[in-house]
Amino acid sequence: MSIIQASKISRSFEGMEVLSGLDLTVFNGEFLAITGRSGVGKSTLLAILGTHDRDFIGNLSIAGHDTRKLKSSELAALRRKYLGFVFQDFHLLSSLNAIENVILPVVFSGGNLELARSQAEDILEMLSVRTDQTKTSLLSRGERQRVAVARGLVNKPSILLADEPSASLDEESEQILFNLLDHLRKQQGFAIIAVIHSKSILERADRILELKDGVLHETI
Amino acid sequence: MGFCMKPSEIRLALHLWNRGHWRDYIFSQGMLFTASLLLIFFISIGLGVQNVLDRFLSSDLPAEQVRVTPPGVQAGFFQTETGGMEITEEIRVSLEEMPLVARVDPQIYAHVPAYLRGRLGGQPYYTDITLEGITCEFLGDSLLESIDWSYSLEDSSRKLLPVVLSENLLLLYNAGFAESNNLLGLTPEGVIGMECSVTLGRSSIAELDHTPVTVRARIEATSRNMNLFAIGVPFEFVDQINSMFLPEDTRRYSALVITAVSAEDVPSIVREVEETGLRAETRRGIAQKAEILVGAVTAALSALAAAILFSAISNAIHTLVNDLRNRRFALGVLIALGTPYDRLAMIFSFQIFFMSMITTVLGATIGCLLAWGASSTLLSLSSTLRAAVDTLAVFPIGWLAAGLGIMLAASTGIAYVFFRKILRTPVTSLLRP
Repeated sequence: MSIIQASKISRSFEGMEVLSGLDLTVFNGEFLAITGRSGVGKSTLLAILGTHDRDFIGNLSIAGHDTRKLKSSELAALRRKYLGFVFQDFHLLSSLNAIENVILPVVFSGGNLELARSQAEDILEMLSVRTDQTKTSLLSRGERQRVAVARGLVNKPSILLADEPSASLDEESEQILFNLLDHLRKQQGFAIIAVIHSKSILERADRILELKDGVLHETI
Repeated sequence: MGFCMKPSEIRLALHLWNRGHWRDYIFSQGMLFTASLLLIFFISIGLGVQNVLDRFLSSDLPAEQVRVTPPGVQAGFFQTETGGMEITEEIRVSLEEMPLVARVDPQIYAHVPAYLRGRLGGQPYYTDITLEGITCEFLGDSLLESIDWSYSLEDSSRKLLPVVLSENLLLLYNAGFAESNNLLGLTPEGVIGMECSVTLGRSSIAELDHTPVTVRARIEATSRNMNLFAIGVPFEFVDQINSMFLPEDTRRYSALVITAVSAEDVPSIVREVEETGLRAETRRGIAQKAEILVGAVTAALSALAAAILFSAISNAIHTLVNDLRNRRFALGVLIALGTPYDRLAMIFSFQIFFMSMITTVLGATIGCLLAWGASSTLLSLSSTLRAAVDTLAVFPIGWLAAGLGIMLAASTGIAYVFFRKILRTPVTSLLRP
């Protein structure tokens, strides 16, 4: 059953078309890897799928909701309920520590804080990230990336959108991260849409789509 | 999902929201605090100072009256005018015959040295004075209506000389004698009924050959319309004293107070009086001088207050907006993660509106206390001020509330507009470094 249905998605920046009538269907629980050269529009596609970018042409449906018809506040609710994000630049609040960054969406969205804190500690521990009071600005890039992954998972999303989630990790950490993601995906059933370059990780994907000339091409 | 937040959730949200921003936030609230403090302080003290100036500079001369004096005679110290133009009986009659004039009341200064002696606040008090002979109508109001305003030396054994005390003399007593002798200041109301003795023919600086005459006197009223060291006494008494001590002096009047049929006639009367070579003084003229001084002081105070206030408010707005600008990225992250807009609005409302309101009220309270403290200190230092007014800090609640409301609305309103603008900004722009 599909959780994301995108059709004829186009996006231009100052007259330059980056996505050109792209179609995409994502199914529940699948791991979809997106590849492509730098600047081809992978992050743009993730921003559209994550409902952060609304200036596109085409239709996007998430969990049966036509995002074009939703107001900003309704889109926020949709993101909160269905989507988890791992941004390419992490987008952590540098003055907060790892746990605080991970539970941030729950704090401001009114979820169960104690549960979120406990889950955050577990995930961070599994990802070997310190859970002390150290501000994330003082963490290594690899650690910050893992904190960003933990934050994307804490709300138990239906879809995890991850933009190069292992770009800053060594091979071992990368494997640990995707082992965890596989484990949680099987446990919780969420779909992963990730921009991936690492061949070893691509092998784990259910589908690999290459973004080229503004459209997606299935490679396996 | 309900968006009501528990206090513990609000506390944690604010704690995380402000981490790393406390300094900016406290600074912005500090600016609001300062602005509200200054607003209250300057309004209350400014109005208080204006009251004092009004009190000191106002005149009792009614709008329909004109005071006529010979040129060169200036209200002031020990006036015993000699030579120059005199107000003669003919002049008086001619003025009385003017069609626009309802009445002419004469005034004459005693041309003999005099002093007043009494006990004020338990202490002996002495001052040289000038006697102004005035008629019952001279003061132009009902001040002397219930007083037997007649007296001659023959009455001295059976009645007291009724006296109208110059409030200027009272101010001088408060500022000079009372302060140096640690005595309480006296209010105009407080001196009514006090008894003293008035000695004529001698003062601390002059003495006539004639044997001095001393009469008992009672202060019946006070007036701001008298000369500085003057006491007002019945006209015929001064006339009698002048004739007795200086029989060769034929001067009959020192001043005339013309009452016009209506206040609109005053300018015409002034023109006609000035054509005779005499000087005409009206309430408008006195008031204008006072208004110019009060206006200048008020303008200077207002300009200073406005400059400080403008600076404080613009700083408050700048820091509030800057604080929000610094949080664009954080807001972007929260929006990207799906934080409900009304929760963000709640955090903003609490942080900006509610806290700013508390800060403003706190600043206003401290401003009130400072104004009150400044007033108390100034009044404790000057019995002149103490005698003139009860307080130097005036708190017109409506105006102060309006001022604070405008300030709060301006600063938080602009911050709110900026906040809404951030919320409308595409998330991708907010997250861009």
